[in-house]
Amino acid sequence: MRRTHALIFGYNEYSKQILAQIGGNYREITLFVSNSEEMSAAFKEGWSAELFDLGDDWSVIEERFDIRLLTTFCALANDAENVFLTISLRSTFESMLIIALAQNHESTLKMKSAGADKVMPVLQIAANMIGDMITKPNVTHVIHDLLYEDEGLGVMEVKIEQYSPLIGKYLHDIDFGSDFDLILLAILDHERENSFSFAVQGYNHHINKDDVLVLMGDKKKLALFKQFARG
Amino acid sequence: MLGKWIVDASYFLQSCHPYRNVKNTVYNLLENNRYRYKKIFDLVMIGLIFLSVYILIRQVKHELSDGWIFFNNYVISFIFLVEYLLRLWVHGDASKIIIERYENDLFLHRPFSFWKAFEAVAIKKIEFIRSPSAIIDFLAILPFFHQLRMFRIFILFRVVKLFRYTKSLRRLVSILSSKKFEFITLIVFTLIVIFIASVLIYVMEANNPKSPVNTLFDAVYWSVVTIFTVGYGDIVPVTSEGRIVAMVIIMLGIAVISFATSIVVSAFTEKLNEIKKDKWVDDVTRLKRFYLICGFSSLSLEVIHRLAKGSIPIVILENDPILYEQAKEHGFMALEYNPSLMETYTHLKINFTHQIEAILLLQESDVENVFTALTIREMTKHVPLYSILHHLEHRRKLQMAGIDVIINPHELVGLMGKILSSQPVAFEAIHTLRSEQTSIVIDEIVLTEGSESIFYPLLKEKLFVRRLSVLGLYHHKNREFRFNPKNDEMFRNGDVAIILGDRILINEFKSILLRRGIR
Repeated sequence: MRRTHALIFGYNEYSKQILAQIGGNYREITLFVSNSEEMSAAFKEGWSAELFDLGDDWSVIEERFDIRLLTTFCALANDAENVFLTISLRSTFESMLIIALAQNHESTLKMKSAGADKVMPVLQIAANMIGDMITKPNVTHVIHDLLYEDEGLGVMEVKIEQYSPLIGKYLHDIDFGSDFDLILLAILDHERENSFSFAVQGYNHHINKDDVLVLMGDKKKLALFKQFARG
Repeated sequence: MLGKWIVDASYFLQSCHPYRNVKNTVYNLLENNRYRYKKIFDLVMIGLIFLSVYILIRQVKHELSDGWIFFNNYVISFIFLVEYLLRLWVHGDASKIIIERYENDLFLHRPFSFWKAFEAVAIKKIEFIRSPSAIIDFLAILPFFHQLRMFRIFILFRVVKLFRYTKSLRRLVSILSSKKFEFITLIVFTLIVIFIASVLIYVMEANNPKSPVNTLFDAVYWSVVTIFTVGYGDIVPVTSEGRIVAMVIIMLGIAVISFATSIVVSAFTEKLNEIKKDKWVDDVTRLKRFYLICGFSSLSLEVIHRLAKGSIPIVILENDPILYEQAKEHGFMALEYNPSLMETYTHLKINFTHQIEAILLLQESDVENVFTALTIREMTKHVPLYSILHHLEHRRKLQMAGIDVIINPHELVGLMGKILSSQPVAFEAIHTLRSEQTSIVIDEIVLTEGSESIFYPLLKEKLFVRRLSVLGLYHHKNREFRFNPKNDEMFRNGDVAIILGDRILINEFKSILLRRGIR
């Protein structure tokens, strides 16, 4: 099910960038801020924001949104408050997708314990990028293009639907490189509780319904493959 | 006429490259601690010194062959003489001094005075001759005149020459010389005590027939042996008055020893930080390649952990004492220097071209990073500069400061948020690869022209098929990335294959490729 609504908590440099980037992914984005200063700052930059507090009353969200269609970004500047917000949301909404920001490794662990589905360790992300830029500049360049460029190469997740012609085949039966000019990066095995493995690990995986293939290649070719895989 | 000839000769020497090269090489060999052959030179000289002392000792009770004696008296002395003359030659630039004088006189419309120029050169050279180390060097040559028997003892001055060749000995002298005033005070005090004690003991004991103190020299000898708490016992006072003097001297002797010890200890304690700092600077100077991180912060810590997986050492420059201490507590190679000052790099004798792999500007503000970048760019245009960007609006300023790669964590988080919310599995896969949490990694292999005939067949071998995946080829020359290359894709020198697979397998692939390529 595609998530169509996003909530962003906090207004700072990080949330500004998240707001700027995820616009195309969601039908509606709602910004929540914790004080009037943040609210006026957001307003000045053309965003309307709503106030929230860290109490347990989340009825506003419950009433307005279908939780199953909701992605929440916990991006408060203070890690302790962010953990508290995450735990508070998780305790109320089990099916909400929560993506949280953490400043360091210690906070990352706490965010995960608090129930965040995905954690973005801010410093680690920047450090990895710097490290990669220095040690593997070409790899970094390619990955950056794959992930973030709108044109050309890209990465795509293809979920195997019920009538897909790939169902029942083994990974080694398909030559993704020659037949589709794509490279299979990884596979999420639905039967094995969504366990994740890389294609180069060499397992001759049996493709089943609801498995997810992660492929790299030209965006147009990826779109064609997606159509093909859908059956 | 003589003046004109000297000036012409000076100009010639200044512009004569072979002459300058020879002089520079000699200077480096004698004085430049960073010159790689200096260590060899120093070791040879140390060897000669010990050999010389060995011959001196051996000569006392054994007959040495003429060859050894000739070697000691002439060869070693001659080498030391040449060294002395070379040091005199490289101390100051005589031709430069003469030219400067000449040009000054020309500018002021004065006739060129050869004698004044000569005087300036002579002053410079005498400055060397009068220096303590040069005096020792000179004394070490004296055994050359071995016919004068007393000059043979000057061989021992060769041992003192060790100070020239060993840095730790030089450091010891510099530490002790910081307490020059205290040592002088102690010496004066000791001399006065010895003088008084000698006179007193002589007066008290010399007329007593039972006393071994018969001459003033006996008295001085006894005083020195007593005050330094040695007390051989060969000369002892026999009169009550003499014994009273002895008791006082013994007590003063303890005071002298304690005073001397405390001076040495305090000199070392005061200089301890300086010694450590010097050692760290030396350690950095000795590094062949390293990453230089300007500024220590939480981000620096993460970056260091990331880069520490490689084999290239990391050096941190941090001006703030608290942050510097934190870096040291983590066990990093940190130096308390301001990275935005040129003086820092000249003092550390950093060779940007040969030593620096990359410089990372990770200070807490864009202002500091720009300032540091400009300082570094002023000194070198070639070293790769990476910088963190704290505020997006400052990007242009960082670019203008000459920073090659700018990384803004906020922007990265935004981009990752986009992928994470739309393609979480793909994000997971890429993030796992990037953070190197598993053994599966993306790596680069630099290719050489013509290696395609080895590369593609190797990929199809049983060990690698389906277990290594070539994501693409990065053509170095036209900066073009060819995704999923076909088997007929040609390589040029410097092209890079981006390859996905297990780290061990990639390493094996690289080594086989290298072996077969060489063959």
